[in-house]
Amino acid sequence: MKNNNVLITGMGVVSAAGSNLTEALASLKVEKRNAGSVSIFETPLKYPVFEVKKIPKEFDLAGRRTISLALCAVNEALFMAGLASDLSKLRVGVCLGTTVGSQLNGRKFYESYRLSGSAPMLAVDRYLKGNPAEFISRKFKAHSPYMTVVNACSSASDAIGAALSWINNGLCDIAIAGGADELSRISLSGFGSLGIISSDLCAPFDANRKGLNLGEGAGVLILESESSAAKRGKSSDLYLTGYGSASDAYHLTAPRPDGLGLELSIKKALMDSGIKTYDICFVNAHGTGTLDNDKVEGAVLQNLFGKRIKFLSTKGFTGHTLGAAGGIEAVFTAAALKKGWIPASAGFMNADKSLGIAPVREKTKINGKYALSTSLAFGGNNAALVFAKSVIS
Amino acid sequence: MNILGIGIVFTGGCGIDAYENALIKGFNAEDNNLFVYSVDLDRIKDKNLWKKLRRADKFSKMAVLAAADAATNSAVLHMDKKRLGIIVSSAFGPQVTTFDFLDGLLDYGEVNVSPTVFSNSVHNAASSYIAGVLGVHGPCLTITQFYFSFQTALQMAGVWLDEERCDYCLVGAVDQYGEVLGYIQNHKLSLAEDGRIKPFNFKPTYQIPAEGSVFFLVSKNKTDNTFCKIESICFNKNNLDNNVDVDLNIIDADGAMADESAYLSAISPKIPTAAYAPLFGSMMIGSAFNCTAGALMLKNQAYYKNPVTDNPHGINLLQDQGSSSIERISCIRYNCNTENAIIHLKRA
Repeated sequence: MKNNNVLITGMGVVSAAGSNLTEALASLKVEKRNAGSVSIFETPLKYPVFEVKKIPKEFDLAGRRTISLALCAVNEALFMAGLASDLSKLRVGVCLGTTVGSQLNGRKFYESYRLSGSAPMLAVDRYLKGNPAEFISRKFKAHSPYMTVVNACSSASDAIGAALSWINNGLCDIAIAGGADELSRISLSGFGSLGIISSDLCAPFDANRKGLNLGEGAGVLILESESSAAKRGKSSDLYLTGYGSASDAYHLTAPRPDGLGLELSIKKALMDSGIKTYDICFVNAHGTGTLDNDKVEGAVLQNLFGKRIKFLSTKGFTGHTLGAAGGIEAVFTAAALKKGWIPASAGFMNADKSLGIAPVREKTKINGKYALSTSLAFGGNNAALVFAKSVIS
Repeated sequence: MNILGIGIVFTGGCGIDAYENALIKGFNAEDNNLFVYSVDLDRIKDKNLWKKLRRADKFSKMAVLAAADAATNSAVLHMDKKRLGIIVSSAFGPQVTTFDFLDGLLDYGEVNVSPTVFSNSVHNAASSYIAGVLGVHGPCLTITQFYFSFQTALQMAGVWLDEERCDYCLVGAVDQYGEVLGYIQNHKLSLAEDGRIKPFNFKPTYQIPAEGSVFFLVSKNKTDNTFCKIESICFNKNNLDNNVDVDLNIIDADGAMADESAYLSAISPKIPTAAYAPLFGSMMIGSAFNCTAGALMLKNQAYYKNPVTDNPHGINLLQDQGSSSIERISCIRYNCNTENAIIHLKRA
């Protein structure tokens, strides 16, 4: 099945690479990596992280950092799309991915409850009012469907894919789609306990890679049917053409060694788009920098696209932003298609011979219509999105 | 889309037969003198299943039991597992395991937390276990929101089937009771201290926290075992009582909102009303259990009596029990902003 053409009329992104798309692309262009130690909470863990250093005051909601990050990206995306802050007259859906943003995990709240059997309800109230998709839906009066996807690290890619389905099935004309996640003590210590965080800056697909770095941020696309955009007098040369999702059915945290789920998800996204593997001009890989992820992903990419495929991981610029990763990477992928270049795969220096495939080492010109973004997640979730530039026949 | 199979885990047991028995038996105050409608997993003896779930938490176990049960109940023998999707919905996710993880963090420090507990605290752990146990390679989605998570999941399943992303989909809801959640629920809402949820009180309301899971196997296909058709899922629909084609309205009133008066606007004097929360408890995902009651009634062409019939507003409650011709049932849920979501069920 080939999808209808769904336009990308707006993009917004916030991460350690920059507080908007322009800033982020500038960082990517010069290979600037804004990592540092954790500053937003006290921790004995000394891993490098990619924090967002500045959230504009108007979006900074106390105790709701994930929502604050989402607001930054959504505002930028809506502005680019020429949409107002009151969307009640349009059929707009909201589909956002997250991990931390959906958990009731306030340490102080729980500490108080453990000690005394009672706790102040402020953290609970913030949680109950902080479901990301519901919050954004109410804030912008977007009355078509809303849905918060919690598919771990593929959450945002799956949210974007679900929004594509909504538009293709007429549930809405426009969708605010992507993901947001804050850096949290829970994920830092949890990933640390799994032994997959690097104490150095991450080096996706490198022979000496030691693991991932955590990050935070948000990435949001405004997806829109061609007829809706035409009605608003809006045009775009960027499209989301396909989405694939498949389960590994293998393990709670490790990717399936034969990469079956990832392969199925990529094939489905290509089929949705009505294209073949040779139509893809680059891949923005999940590329976390862990031994297992990069091994499986590298093998699948080589299998499907051959050794010469241009690919990269942008996690060297943002860290692994978990539920936001697919959104941030979707924005970077679409922006790269538009600009005609991809940045160096930050952190990559030495080819891993066992992979037989290597990401780009420097800013690289790209020339083609289609690009792929992949996400692999805990739970064996795999998601793939295909983006296109300019006219599709 | 059609409901081909249903799996259920609730305080009264596991399996659609146990639920049907509870519906037939009705509410018994002596049996239900509980302050939590908890699920006793020890009653489930399937060792093969438990072997695959030995590291899973209760949240995931309930979901897997219900999902596997739905697949079995459907009696669909040959499903291409690459064409089978999974959608898990929840209001709170595996919050008990999150608090377990916090226990480890507070007791032993951030350097010494448990990787196993962390892995199970991730929201999509349940869907991962379902995929693993059933060998599913199709699309997989876990969604979390407070009021309409089950309705949203059903809607998404319908979209996947319509666009042929999958041929079958296991779509369901799961939530687990935990001490902290119970504390919050009882802090914000009134506990039904007499052990009786009174769904038609509307204000003031009284609730009893609960846990459980329901899964449907849905498809565009129809089988001899089909429960019913899901005709549509609507959000924020006005003028509900105009739909006189409906034989029964099932409302999700269960005391889980301090004010449930919005349901009064959904109730028509012409259409009988039912609510089955007294059988399974007060849960944000209660819709899935009420919808299951509706699906059973359409399949069996028989009504199940209201378990608790306190009726201070004098509404037209379902009085009948037993065989009847039933064509359509609406399952209605409101949230605290008086927005609604309705699942329209139709005889297959």
